[in-house]
Amino acid sequence: MAGSETHGARAVRVTPEEVRRLCEFLYRRTGMLFNDNKRYYIDRRLIERIAATRSASFQAYFAILRSDVDHEIEHLINAFTVNETYFNREEHQLRCMTSVLLGNVIRRKPPGGAIRIWSVPCSTGEEPYSIAIWLMENWSHVDSYNIEIVGSDIDTRALKAAANGVYGERALMRLSRDVIHRYFRPVADGEYQIDPGLRDSIQFTRANLIDAQDMARYRDFDIVFCRNVLIYFDDASRRIAAENLYDCLGPGGYICLGHSETMSRISPLFRVCRFPDAIVYQRPEADHDGH
Amino acid sequence: MTDIERASPPSRKRILVVDDSSLVRLYYRDTLEKAGFEVEQAINGIEAMEKVLVQPFDLAIIDVNMPRMDGISFLRTLRSSPGDVATLPALVITTEAGEQDVAAARAAGANFYLVKPLSQQDLLRHAAALSGAPP
Repeated sequence: MAGSETHGARAVRVTPEEVRRLCEFLYRRTGMLFNDNKRYYIDRRLIERIAATRSASFQAYFAILRSDVDHEIEHLINAFTVNETYFNREEHQLRCMTSVLLGNVIRRKPPGGAIRIWSVPCSTGEEPYSIAIWLMENWSHVDSYNIEIVGSDIDTRALKAAANGVYGERALMRLSRDVIHRYFRPVADGEYQIDPGLRDSIQFTRANLIDAQDMARYRDFDIVFCRNVLIYFDDASRRIAAENLYDCLGPGGYICLGHSETMSRISPLFRVCRFPDAIVYQRPEADHDGH
Repeated sequence: MTDIERASPPSRKRILVVDDSSLVRLYYRDTLEKAGFEVEQAINGIEAMEKVLVQPFDLAIIDVNMPRMDGISFLRTLRSSPGDVATLPALVITTEAGEQDVAAARAAGANFYLVKPLSQQDLLRHAAALSGAPP
């Protein structure tokens, strides 16, 4: 059956105009911008979706997509997102979190108060789990506050994988054997599953960064990790995402971007903080406004 | 291997960790297991009560602030239970250092009382002393 589907898919041809229509649809829904220089990447995924929906032509597929038959919009978005990451990626930001950011955050907190940390997009869970492990290994106040870690992504398939928490050796390459031994258990074929207690400490949810209504569910975060996603957006979407993220932070909250990203060119709302381990961006505290 | 691991007693004393935060439970569990303790967990006083009635423990480490049944209420219920379970050693841990909290924990029957954050050394020292683990 798979062979005939593949054969059927190869029979469907997509024109540049049809690809443009699809990219426009994706852009309006997600803010992700795909250009002609990603044509192979786009074609491959589009043809996969045409085959999976057994559509006879692009027009037939596009009708299914626009009517969202069997959640096709979600399937298409899932197919176009990139989920390649690993534990303790950009470790210097995790170090910055425990050496500086959390110290500033807890000055505003009562004993035992909530500290909210958001990993968005969280892909298949490596980042929020890395944050939890890093806190337990490196922050002496980890038992003194009610730490809430939320992992969100637009890709529901990635979220399922995150909740399942099974990873190969490559994803774990930056973790020591001791840490792997304590927070994972080996499962079949050289894969490791995250400790159930650790899995339960993360809340996984779906979120679309450019959808203001969706983002209104996320508020009062103290630290947000939003790495390597704004690079997929154009300037307009980037600004919308940045403003949405600003609203998701509590006053004085911090946002960490990917190493190649800078908020300064996107939005003037944030204060740039240059710490020894990382450059992060801060939503100013209310009483600092105008200074 | 850390100093804590090297110094850990070869004990299999059983400890019940009662805390509503899964991250805190995991942190305490990891610290205690590395030192050779066996650890069971409960998310509030109700679940803890269910566990102490059917499993033997050498120590309960109890957070004060928890939903549904807090640590002080759990301790009072524990101390008024029939049988050996009423004498289970209890280490109460809280984020508040107020005298009232100390008095409430003592009145409820806490054997010892500590204020967060707990270093791994403090946690292990008190867990060993209260559970009767060899030094």
